[in-house]
Amino acid sequence: MRSSAQTMTPQASWFSEKILMGLTPRAYVRSLFTPFDLIAGLILAVGIPVIIYRFAFGLGAATNLTQETPWGIWIGFDMLCGVALAAGGFSIASTVYIFGLKDFHPIVRPAVLTAFLGYLFAVLGLMCDLGRPWNLPIPMIYSFGTTSVMFEVGWCVMLYTTVLALEFSPALFEWLGIGEGIRRLIVKATIGLTVAAVLLSTLHQSSLGALFLMAPTKIHPLWYSPFIPAYFFISAIGAGLSMVIVESSLSHRAFQGRADHEVNLDRVAIGLARAAAVVLFAYFFLKLQGVADGGHWALLATPMGYWFLFEVLGFVLVPSLLFAHGARTRNTRLIKWTAAWTVLGAVVNRLNVSVIAFNWNIEHHYVPSWMEVVTTLTLVTTGVLCFRWTVNRMPILRELPQYRDEH
Amino acid sequence: MIPHDILTLYDAKAFEYVIALLFLALFIPFWQYLSGEARPALQPAVQAARRKPARPLTELVEWFRMAPDAFYHPGHAWARAATDGRVALGVDDFAQKLVGRLKAVELPAVGTRLSLGEPAWRLRVDGKAVEMLSPVDGVVTDVNPMVVASPALANADPYGEGWLVKVDAPRFPAHRRTLLSGRLARSWIEDATNALRLRMSPEVGLALQDGGMPVDGIAHALDPDRWDVIASEFLLTQGNETPATGERR
Repeated sequence: MRSSAQTMTPQASWFSEKILMGLTPRAYVRSLFTPFDLIAGLILAVGIPVIIYRFAFGLGAATNLTQETPWGIWIGFDMLCGVALAAGGFSIASTVYIFGLKDFHPIVRPAVLTAFLGYLFAVLGLMCDLGRPWNLPIPMIYSFGTTSVMFEVGWCVMLYTTVLALEFSPALFEWLGIGEGIRRLIVKATIGLTVAAVLLSTLHQSSLGALFLMAPTKIHPLWYSPFIPAYFFISAIGAGLSMVIVESSLSHRAFQGRADHEVNLDRVAIGLARAAAVVLFAYFFLKLQGVADGGHWALLATPMGYWFLFEVLGFVLVPSLLFAHGARTRNTRLIKWTAAWTVLGAVVNRLNVSVIAFNWNIEHHYVPSWMEVVTTLTLVTTGVLCFRWTVNRMPILRELPQYRDEH
Repeated sequence: MIPHDILTLYDAKAFEYVIALLFLALFIPFWQYLSGEARPALQPAVQAARRKPARPLTELVEWFRMAPDAFYHPGHAWARAATDGRVALGVDDFAQKLVGRLKAVELPAVGTRLSLGEPAWRLRVDGKAVEMLSPVDGVVTDVNPMVVASPALANADPYGEGWLVKVDAPRFPAHRRTLLSGRLARSWIEDATNALRLRMSPEVGLALQDGGMPVDGIAHALDPDRWDVIASEFLLTQGNETPATGERR
């Protein structure tokens, strides 16, 4: 008994230090009684049974999806928005490791973590959406459909999620204090991983748009364009950069005790705003090219046209000008609000293409069921909780002193 | 060949060319606007000095500025309830003029518990450091990154942008009654100024004769070798002064 007690003590202290952040179990549980945790707990309490119900009784019972509208918000929001907003991961990593702009180094890890969780929960959303997710290995491994865009998207997302897991893993090893050899190997492979990230992201961000090339008659002409793969890729960069501004601003505020105070976030935000302004400015003119190419000018004077104008003016041109003004006047408050608005714009764009302007002219237009909404809310909440759990423990917003010089 | 189709095609192409040219033409001023600056970049301290003060102007008592809305500890630290419910702490004008232009400010880490009258932070000048006492009980929730990056901000704007830390101090409403404010604070600064006058050497006395303000770094002007001892005497941390070794943040 005595020896077993001795062996238990170090384990308990490791658990207390690493998992409970040095608190006693009672104090840790007490620390979870915050308004945010209670709301999150409520969402999970409703959402987890709903997800179980969806897998027990099938898509027909849980969703409003039909043969006519097979893709709902699990694809339109969880997958398309999750992947687009996660584009900050490869954008920031390539800025720092390929273009050598070291000023942005402090936000690489939070951006990569956001991207990793974004992809992970996009894939989980996809699992909910697939009728028989257990058959996924068949098209992925046993029976390659090399002529299908979806095959390319599937493989790319799988590979990129793996790359993100590897890019994130040094923080995990540093936190656990193990696997120093593997950690060094991965750190040495950083540039290779970043190149792979850019390559894979370019492929699947655009391919997610290319999926909609199959439905020229189903998507409203103002949103359908042969340029849609380019639209998806470019807008993902603007959305990803904006997401990084929002995420870094919120997380440095929420996790003050876990963040390096030497980081000049304002300077980082101004740099990101400059990049986002240029990307959105170019994207606005490319959207105009789409209208010109299709010859759809007359459609702008219809109700759907007004909605299209609201999207491209309100969520693309105006944020571009506001980012430029914010960067010029060093107004970081304006930059942060503009970034939040642009993130909302990216969500609106993806939902427009996949839900609102998709089958816009059918009699019974798709509206998500409450269970679809709750499932999406549950996945987003779980993603936020995972982000918080990780940042509270691992060196994400700060660098451990022993690794400070090597990144 | 159908003329109508060709015309339609050329219509679309013409629009596309016009949009491309419009983009290129507008991108030049857009880029110029984006990459320019509204005004030349200023150092944070200068920016703070030029910024319009967000709170009532400081008043001059003897040689030193005082913020009417701050509560003062006899060790020359001030405390003020911030708009977000926390309490901002900083050094008063007397302390910053006494020690002179700061090279570094060693602030307590976020999460540190400060106790009223116990050492809270260090001011580092010319390789020596002096400690200052906390004016409140509380837990540090925020340190001013601008002061960490540019310590001279605490000299330029000690009651505004030069605040040092924010603390969660639930007992501040009760504790502030033990701190100095209003007429009591003004009279205390007058006494401190008189005590300083008594220590003045002829070099600094020139400022007195001119009727002007004392130079920054009064303690240094009094005794360049033992300025930290003099400063600690006024900041009530005598015996805590330390040589410059290592960083504490």
